[in-house]
Formats: sequence, C-alpha cells, structure tokens
Amino acid sequence: MRDFGKKQVKDGARPSASGRWQQLEALGHSCFYLTMRLFGLTGAYLLLVPVVVVYLLGSREIYRRTRPYLRRRFPGRGRWGLWQATFKNVHSFGRVLVDRAWLGIGRKRAFQGETIGYERLLKLVAEGKGVVLLTAHVGNWQTALAHLEQLPVPVHALMHYDQEAVAKHYFDLSPGRRPFHIISTDGPLGGMVEATAALQRGEVVTIMGDRLVKGASVTADFLGEPARFPAAAYVLAGCVGAPVAAMFAAKTGRRSYRLWIRDVWYPRWQDREQRAAACQASGARFACNLQEHVDEYPYQWYNFYDFWQQ
Amino acid sequence: MENLKERLKHILIDEIKLQGVTPADIKDDQPMFGEGLGLDSLDAVELVVLIQKHFGVQIADMDEGKKAFASIASLADYIQEHRG
Repeated sequence: MRDFGKKQVKDGARPSASGRWQQLEALGHSCFYLTMRLFGLTGAYLLLVPVVVVYLLGSREIYRRTRPYLRRRFPGRGRWGLWQATFKNVHSFGRVLVDRAWLGIGRKRAFQGETIGYERLLKLVAEGKGVVLLTAHVGNWQTALAHLEQLPVPVHALMHYDQEAVAKHYFDLSPGRRPFHIISTDGPLGGMVEATAALQRGEVVTIMGDRLVKGASVTADFLGEPARFPAAAYVLAGCVGAPVAAMFAAKTGRRSYRLWIRDVWYPRWQDREQRAAACQASGARFACNLQEHVDEYPYQWYNFYDFWQQ
Repeated sequence: MENLKERLKHILIDEIKLQGVTPADIKDDQPMFGEGLGLDSLDAVELVVLIQKHFGVQIADMDEGKKAFASIASLADYIQEHRG
C-alpha cells in the first residue's frame, strides 16, 4: 500500500502545485461566470472588490509584480499610497477580465466603444501597403482587437497563444468567429514570414509593442528609466514600406471603452547600417506614446512583472 | 540555375549584408538560418521582401518557407518553380 501511495505521487496522480493553482483558478473563473449569469455585470463587479482585497492581503507576489511600475509611476507615494495604487491597478485588471468574460458569453451590446482616429486607420489601410498596428498591455486591449473586425482587410495578431490557459481570451469564449487570425510567435522564425506576407498583401498585423519575449530589441526611456522594447514591428514595417500605427485602449467608464490611434509613422532606412538607428527612433517614439497613455490612465497598465528588466 | 544561385549569394552579401563572406564561401547546400549562415528571423523578413522584389515570388508562410529557406540551392529551386 505504501509503495502504491508513493507511485501515485511519482506518476503525478496528485496534482502538482501548479496543477492545484490551475484548478483553483478554474474554480474562481467558474464562480465569476455563475455570478454573471445570475446577477449580471454589476454582480460580478461587486464580487470583484472583496476578491481583490483578500488577494492583496494574502499574496506578497502581487506586490513584487506591480511595484516596479507603480514606484516609477508614483515616485512620491509612501506604503499606504502604494497599497491603494496596487488595489486600483489589480481591481482595474479584474474589471477588464470581467468585461472580457461578459463579452465572451455573448453580451456584445453591453459596452459602448469609441475609436479616435479610425478614419485615419481606414486611410492607411486604403494605401494598400499593409499596416503594423502596434498596441500594448494597457486598457481592455482584447476588446480593442475585437473592434478591428470591421476593417475591410483581414487582421492578424502576431502573438504567443496559450491554448491551455484557464483565462481564455475573449475571442475563444465568444460563440462567433474570431475577429482576427493568430500568427503564433512560437512557430518557425517567430511567425515573421507569415507576418511579412500578410503586410505584402495589404493586410493589418497587430503586434504587442511592449512585450519582449525573444529576438531583437531597442532600448528607450520609459517613466524615466531605460527599458527594452521589441524591434520586430519596426523591421517588418520598414522592410515592407508599411506604416506603424500606435493604438491603445482604455476603459473609460463602467460600460464604455475608447481606442486611440495615437500616432502614425513610417520607419525608413536607406541601407542596413541605418536600420538599427531607425528602429531605435521608432522604439523611443512608441515609448513616448505609451508613457502619455499611462500618464492619462495610470491604473490600466497590465504588465505585471519588472518591465525594466525584461 | 547556377546563375540564379550566384545572384542569390550576391543578394545575401550585398543586401542582407552578410559580413566577411564572399560568394565562393557560401555552399549551395549550406543551411541559411541558425548555425549555417547565421541568418535570423529579422533577416527572414528582409529575405521575403527581396525575393518578392527581385523575382516577383511570394513566400506566404513557413510551410513554403521551410522548404525554400533550407539552403541557397532549395531557394533557387523554389524561385524557379514559382516565378511566372
């Protein structure tokens, strides 16, 4: 019997720590879905407050993950001030997850969206050179991407895609078709061949401009200190002759969100020697746009790790 | 076909800027990416654009790219097969 017990552990019959965490996470998600179905969006928002408070009281990890950003964004704040900021940051993220789930169960009409610069984006698409749409983990960015299904050309998202994640993307939960096609960065050459071909066909490729997973990077000042940003988007745009459009999302009210096309530019270089400098300038421009956005919406920053060490 | 391979080698050296390499140093069956000629994913972007520009051939995805990018010889074969 004892041997059998040992074997069970060895073979992984008992869930591992990460497995148990995943089960707990799945249970939490089920509770929120049940609350939403029974009490609507308001019920889920109300449930969110005690959940976030308990989470903040019980987890040191979340402070480790949020402090690198919050200390730089609110340099003058003491412990209590930073605790409040952490609460607002995590609570804001929770609301975005609730909204995403709400959209996922088919309640599209629950939110009113506004896109500032949409006409400009349409003009860029009409040029036929493709568009690199550079976004970031701020605001309800998945809602933003879903909004792009109205564009007259196919939209691709160059992204790491975890099909096993408990926190499914809203487009996995939604009963309709996906609003965009995913080009996985896990594929050969990081999906760059597919992304290049899509731009050559005049299509739109969205890329997260703030998440460096692998590959080439540029360094730019962000909130007063140098941080690394991925360079792939600028190389793609420059080689194909496509514009880069920086687009950010924010939740602006209980049932409203806004998208901005904040800036548009064309990375250009004459020869390869100039490429690094052109990408560097583009990275600095993106960082500047991103900083303006977090100045305006400081609690809607969802890179929960030390961004300056990535 | 030999002319095409030579032209591809010149494109790699002159436009992708392979450093310290002459056309004679590049073997026809040498892998282009990774430990072969050392090209990376950003070079792949340039290469896809250059193939389109010089030969009017599009490499749409890695199903095609895997075969085409294996070596200079396989890229020449791919271009030969696909150009109009």
